[in-house]
Amino acid sequence: MAAIAQVKSRRPSLQLPVWKALLLSLPMLLISSFLWVPNLSGAGDSLALIAGIIALLGINTIFFFMLYTGKTDRYRAVMFIIIAIALPMDFIPWMIKTYGSMMLTDEIVYSGGASFCPLTMPMILIPALVKRVIIFPGELLPTMAHGAFSLMFIIWVAASLSVGMGWCSWVCLYGGWDEFFSRLRRKPLIKNIDRRWIYLPFGMLLAIVVLSAITFTPIYCEWFCPFKIATEFQAPVNLLTSIQVGIFVVLFIGLVVVLPILTRRRVQCGLFCPFGALQSFLNKINIFEVRVDLDKCSECKQCLRTCPTFSLDESSLKSGKTLITCTKCSKCIDGCPKGAAYYHIKGTSLKASPQTARILFVYAGFVLMLIFGGEIVNALYRIFKLITTGSML
Amino acid sequence: MKYIKSFLGYSIAVVCILISIMVGPMIGLLAEPFIKTTGLRLSPNYDGGEVRQTIDHAAYQTLVHRMVFDNTLIGERKEGFVQVEWAPLAALPAHIDEEVDVNGDNQADFRLVVDTANKQSVLTPYSSWVQELEGTYRFKNSMAVRVRLKNPAR
Repeated sequence: MAAIAQVKSRRPSLQLPVWKALLLSLPMLLISSFLWVPNLSGAGDSLALIAGIIALLGINTIFFFMLYTGKTDRYRAVMFIIIAIALPMDFIPWMIKTYGSMMLTDEIVYSGGASFCPLTMPMILIPALVKRVIIFPGELLPTMAHGAFSLMFIIWVAASLSVGMGWCSWVCLYGGWDEFFSRLRRKPLIKNIDRRWIYLPFGMLLAIVVLSAITFTPIYCEWFCPFKIATEFQAPVNLLTSIQVGIFVVLFIGLVVVLPILTRRRVQCGLFCPFGALQSFLNKINIFEVRVDLDKCSECKQCLRTCPTFSLDESSLKSGKTLITCTKCSKCIDGCPKGAAYYHIKGTSLKASPQTARILFVYAGFVLMLIFGGEIVNALYRIFKLITTGSML
Repeated sequence: MKYIKSFLGYSIAVVCILISIMVGPMIGLLAEPFIKTTGLRLSPNYDGGEVRQTIDHAAYQTLVHRMVFDNTLIGERKEGFVQVEWAPLAALPAHIDEEVDVNGDNQADFRLVVDTANKQSVLTPYSSWVQELEGTYRFKNSMAVRVRLKNPAR
């Protein structure tokens, strides 16, 4: 124990002095106020304003501690999980108020009433390029409260350019569920996972792209998405739709809850999600990456054992790089006993300041979190409404 | 060269942050031009396709959409549908009885009798390629029926 403490105390730290962390947090306070206050001031409801102020203070406190402690992953995960939980707390009451239930009827589908989800991107691209049509029953331009195609597409392009596969740990609306359940146990019950499973998301990507192009329907949404339990789903009015509902319930329980608890890994995100597979190709064009300093690395392989998305293996570690599936969550960086893992900006020297790269990346990632982070405000508002009026609607 | 690459790297990193900051405020400005420029539209599977013919009645209109067989990547499908819509919802009579020409040859292809209050419809096909009723739907401001068709061209 004393030896571990000694090693930990010698471990190079990304911790910042308080004054520096405060100074570097100020721009985030300004940015988050700039992004959120116009929406809050237009709300015309004191409860919404209070929710907004609490959320604004909360997220900036989280950001400050992320910088101050040097523990990016810990505080990123807190925000990420809160956003994932906030989404159904806002979205489901909105569905019930707007349509009477969480279930999508044919009427909602044929009137373009489904909220556009970014996970549909892989499926819609080919029909959009070939026939100029969007094969999703949502709006193209925003007229309703939640999600139009044009908005989600622009966010997706911007986030892909800005953080690449960092989407999966910084932006995704649903990944926080996986993240949450993967952190419940202190130790995994299932440790040895066949690494060939990491190819499944790519297989899923190919399958859904091809099948969606053939059927002209969003196959993943109809058959494979586990997160429908937290958003909206086709009404089970016949055997087919009942089977679809059954599948997504089983997938949520298996891939998002049980397996992450047992493995302490993000199983849905790392071993199933086809959107993640698409993002991993876009990782190539992103300026940020995670590297391993081979001079400092003691080959303890803790990073291999703890990476939530299986993005490190023996050969990548030997070359000092992560695999293309790296979501830049910082778990390896925070957990490395030698401080060998670090954020790096492509083109800069491998010995360049890891702190600078970290701060720049964290700024890009955290600001993107604020886009969907508005769900925190909405969820808080609904909680206040529940307390004051007895209803979240 | 090393310094140029390093400068470019940091510059692009800063640009990434600026993209992250600006995407939120810019979304509203970019969305409409993006859709207009790309010419993207919703799949006819969902919006029923363009309205081909509008028939005026006293208090309401009948909107006959085009036949949809092109909800596929290449070519046309052997089977499709046509959507017939009546609007506005508030002005619709309790029963609608209408013969519909979907292919523009001035001959009725089927007859629809719609009970608007109970959302029930009866289809009487006149053409061999008119198959069956898919469903009757009440939207926010209209009522619609989808009729399944065989592609007469195939």
